[in-house]
Amino acid sequence: MMSAAAFDSARDLQISRVMKVPREVVWRAWTDPARFEQWWVPAPAKCKVQSMELRPGGAFITRISEHGEEFAPHLNACFLAVDELRRIIFTDALAAGWRPAQQPFMTAIITLDDHPLGTHYAAHVMHRTWSDRDKHEELGFFDGWGTVIGQLANHVEDLL
Amino acid sequence: MAYYSERLDGIFQALADPTRRAVLQRLSRGPASISELAAPFDMALPSFMKHIRLLEDSGCIQTRKAGRVRTCDLDRKSFVAAEGWLSTQRELWQARTDRLEQFVLSDRRKGK
Repeated sequence: MMSAAAFDSARDLQISRVMKVPREVVWRAWTDPARFEQWWVPAPAKCKVQSMELRPGGAFITRISEHGEEFAPHLNACFLAVDELRRIIFTDALAAGWRPAQQPFMTAIITLDDHPLGTHYAAHVMHRTWSDRDKHEELGFFDGWGTVIGQLANHVEDLL
Repeated sequence: MAYYSERLDGIFQALADPTRRAVLQRLSRGPASISELAAPFDMALPSFMKHIRLLEDSGCIQTRKAGRVRTCDLDRKSFVAAEGWLSTQRELWQARTDRLEQFVLSDRRKGK
């Protein structure tokens, strides 16, 4: 099953991978907190799953500890869809119970499909458009942005 | 992730105003004093300073005072972050997928 969401190359990313294990094994790595904690963040940082309520509207909250320091907030998200062995969708635009979040940033669609070698794993991550909220698009924000970024990029290259 | 998005918010907010964009464009050619930056604008100095402070708070520019002259300069790290945010996220998810793959391979072996 492919993601129904259209891909926008300016603010989306898509990672696909064939993993040589059955879907059940990938699903378990994603949905069993003790397993999930072992791969979600890069070592030596540590991840702790605070909530993983695998149902639409359920909380998905993780914490991270870097450099041996105390666990700090990492992800505060809400599941939008959890289809056993097939698909997980979550977003940090909402908190648990579909409550609007303060700092919306992304929605991720994780899909697992059968593959002759095992599992075709895909992560489609959609990010927020900053200009939408401020409605600067209609004010020519993009032209100004492009010009400034272009010049700054040149400037940075000169200095490197 | 939250920190990253907060920081980018500041940069995008800074870039959302024509005066501030003009200031940044001028600074992309090199450092300048406040009076030099303010000269092209028909604006009272206190109003202009609000823009400078916003640019400074958002991490777009740095200012330093020598005698009675305050000089502004771009903080280039911020713009590298703004330009590269999507590739940073892509790297993060790629590495995450690598770790998941390693994990499921070893988890399967252990499970047998």
